[in-house]
Amino acid sequence: MGRSSLAIVFAGSGGAGAMTAGELFLRAAATAGYYGSMNRLFGPQVRGGESAALLQISNLPITCQPDNFDLFVALDWHKVDQFAAEIPLTENSIILADPQSGPVPQNVARSKARIVSFKMGDPEATPLERALHGKHTNVFAAGAVGCLAGIDPAKMRAALSTVLGSKAADVQRLNAASLEKGAAAAATLALDLDLAPPKPAPRWLLTGNQAIAMGSLRGGVRFVSCYPITPATDLVEWLAPRLQQLGGKLVLAEDELAAINMVLGASFGGVPAMTVTSGPGLSLMVEAIGLAVAAEVPAVIIDVMRSGPSTGIPSKTEQSDVNLAIYGGHGDAPRIVLAPTSVRDCLFTGEWAVYLAESLQTPVIVLSDQALGQAHQVIDPKPDRPPPLARRIELPASKFKRYATDSDPVTAMPPPGTPHGQWVGEGLTHNEFGIPVSGAAAHAAQLNKRARKLAQFDPGAWWGDVWGDGDTAILTFGSGAGAALEAAVALGAAGSPTRVVALRVLSPLPLAALATSLKGARRIIVMEQNQGAQLYHHLLAHNAIPPTADSMARPGPLPFRRAEIIARLAAQV
Amino acid sequence: MTENIVTAPNMLADAPPGTLSARDFHSGATPIWCPGCGDYGVLSALEDALATYGRPPHEVVLVSGIGCSSRLPAYTSCYGFHGVHGRALPFAAGVKLARPDLEVIAVGGDGDGYSIGGNHFIHACRRDLDMVYLVMDNRVYGMTKGQPSPTTEPDWDSDIAPGGIGLRPFDPLALALAAGATFVARGFSAQPHDLATVIVEAIRWPGFAFIEVLSPCVAFRREEFDWKASVHPVKQTIENDRAAAHAAILADDGFGLGVVFRDYRRLKPAPEPQRVTLAEIESEFRIGA
Repeated sequence: MGRSSLAIVFAGSGGAGAMTAGELFLRAAATAGYYGSMNRLFGPQVRGGESAALLQISNLPITCQPDNFDLFVALDWHKVDQFAAEIPLTENSIILADPQSGPVPQNVARSKARIVSFKMGDPEATPLERALHGKHTNVFAAGAVGCLAGIDPAKMRAALSTVLGSKAADVQRLNAASLEKGAAAAATLALDLDLAPPKPAPRWLLTGNQAIAMGSLRGGVRFVSCYPITPATDLVEWLAPRLQQLGGKLVLAEDELAAINMVLGASFGGVPAMTVTSGPGLSLMVEAIGLAVAAEVPAVIIDVMRSGPSTGIPSKTEQSDVNLAIYGGHGDAPRIVLAPTSVRDCLFTGEWAVYLAESLQTPVIVLSDQALGQAHQVIDPKPDRPPPLARRIELPASKFKRYATDSDPVTAMPPPGTPHGQWVGEGLTHNEFGIPVSGAAAHAAQLNKRARKLAQFDPGAWWGDVWGDGDTAILTFGSGAGAALEAAVALGAAGSPTRVVALRVLSPLPLAALATSLKGARRIIVMEQNQGAQLYHHLLAHNAIPPTADSMARPGPLPFRRAEIIARLAAQV
Repeated sequence: MTENIVTAPNMLADAPPGTLSARDFHSGATPIWCPGCGDYGVLSALEDALATYGRPPHEVVLVSGIGCSSRLPAYTSCYGFHGVHGRALPFAAGVKLARPDLEVIAVGGDGDGYSIGGNHFIHACRRDLDMVYLVMDNRVYGMTKGQPSPTTEPDWDSDIAPGGIGLRPFDPLALALAAGATFVARGFSAQPHDLATVIVEAIRWPGFAFIEVLSPCVAFRREEFDWKASVHPVKQTIENDRAAAHAAILADDGFGLGVVFRDYRRLKPAPEPQRVTLAEIESEFRIGA
């Protein structure tokens, strides 16, 4: 029969290849027809630091991290125990460790997980061979886990070849041998970890960062300027060659101030443009976001959130940029703030963001987070795509006023090169022609024009996602949505029907749709991963939730898990 | 590195026959500048230069930051953008990269370009995009009523720095050279005809062309009108020899006018990537049956 899902950790010091083992196993399982997910856990070092690949393989889509891991594969024990809090184990878990790596560290052993001694690497290799070729312990371990889970060995070999890419033939051959030896060694273990047969279907394997990048390309982004920052850089590294192959341009700017202003320049030039950053970078971009609001220039800003404030924990997740994204900046500068509800939804939201920015001539901030962005997931590609919306560029029949206030608040924005369309984009308070003025009437007129643009924005069915109609409602966003949904499913099965509402539009709040989605809920709990309950207070301030609504807010970087949510809901009943 | 150097084609060809006049580049808006401000001369020189160059106003984009001189775009009939303080160059770079067909000119003052925008200045020199950067240097923050800028003399007395700021001003031309600028020039607002000639050459230059314009502030630096007596043509325009150009600039008294340096050597552009379709990119993600 086999189990329906399996949660596995590959952990080791830098260079041990935990990530490669994880990617190889995930790809093989995905090719075999399973859903899967892999999150990355890093120490702060660039090279030589500890790392862990956190995997789940299942016959059902996976949208959050598991309550516990079934199998912990220790490639070595070097500093790995500092991840103990992020790798929950129980007495039902199994630790696979080479006795040569020394004793299991206390932090890990405390779980009372069953420790299985397992010699990793070729026992027949001479010390010289090991020194020359490395031990390939990671590939050996992946081979062993593939065998234990019952993954087709041919799929394992094919995945290894994909992961190794263009590595030399002898490297490929030695790794393939390690893979086989690992599988053979594991065949002697009786651990009952095999998975139920898969249900293959055409699926995609990608990260949340790649999905947003792909969505933005679909939406027409052909100019990207950015500055390197963890955990957003891998989005741009994936995007860079592909954007250029589509005829677009990618610029590595001198800083985030330049990055966002280049984006505004390219957008002024008529090309849909985007920047990609994380909290510290978004902080630097805030002034120019206000400029984009005032001068009415479309721009897409992707914020892959990490733990803050200040430099915080660069490699780990948190949802603490809500206030900055919605309210950051001086003056009244309303903008659109979106949040993808899953890795799968990153494709949709990434594309939609471009259409909204272009059609409303406004900055659109997309709040992703490290847990979504760097999660490698198998998804059913979403069939629905947002309808394309374009920028208004045609000149009116009457005299052209770039910032006209007596018509539709979305006014024509002809790109340079258009005869008779000349206008000056202006960050100062301006009149309808864009000439700077300092009178109260013009100031109010332009503030109203921009407010009306957002007031008339109707997100339609895409304002958020709703699952179920239980009388308890978990209201959340971003990477919290998956965990909330899994908790709701478990609670429903246990006789406590629970609904989940995941906001895709955080600002301007879709008040009517949200009220409908919460109708009949006797209990509302707002779940978010930051200490100050930023979303909760945003919702309260706009009367989007009743004052009786509860808040479940805590900082990152630990992900929300099903068990934590269920326990929190139980404690409050 | 050396084998990667190619010589740029000589772009200093004659202008196309002129059908445009300076008037065609005038918006009619009344500048906020004080009567007598040096920036009027720069505006007039720029309009002359654009008319001589010959592209119509709708194919030209003027980009600026914040400060008195940064008001200039709205006084022309071109497309323009008046953004935030110090960021004219990255905005202009974005326009040029997205729309290489347009003529892009960034303008601003010494505070905007050398202080708050200083980092962008050195990187714009290095990036060497085909655009012009025109800095109206009056050695003072005029709009905020008289504070010392990075080019202000150390002993210039002001409310905010009584007795002088006590810092060495830096030389924008030397800075541009050090950052890799390929076209470096100096002009004077009171000699708009000569300045227009330099601007035309800068527009035609197939890279980043930097012009520092001495532009006196009538409100806070009246003594700058004495620059008339100090200015003189540069001894020669140095070509390709960056070390010699550095020496010449450091030896200059800061009042030498004209094109100081042209560097015809260019890095070869990266090869054009092979084109793919969105569908081909999406197929990378596909897995399984």
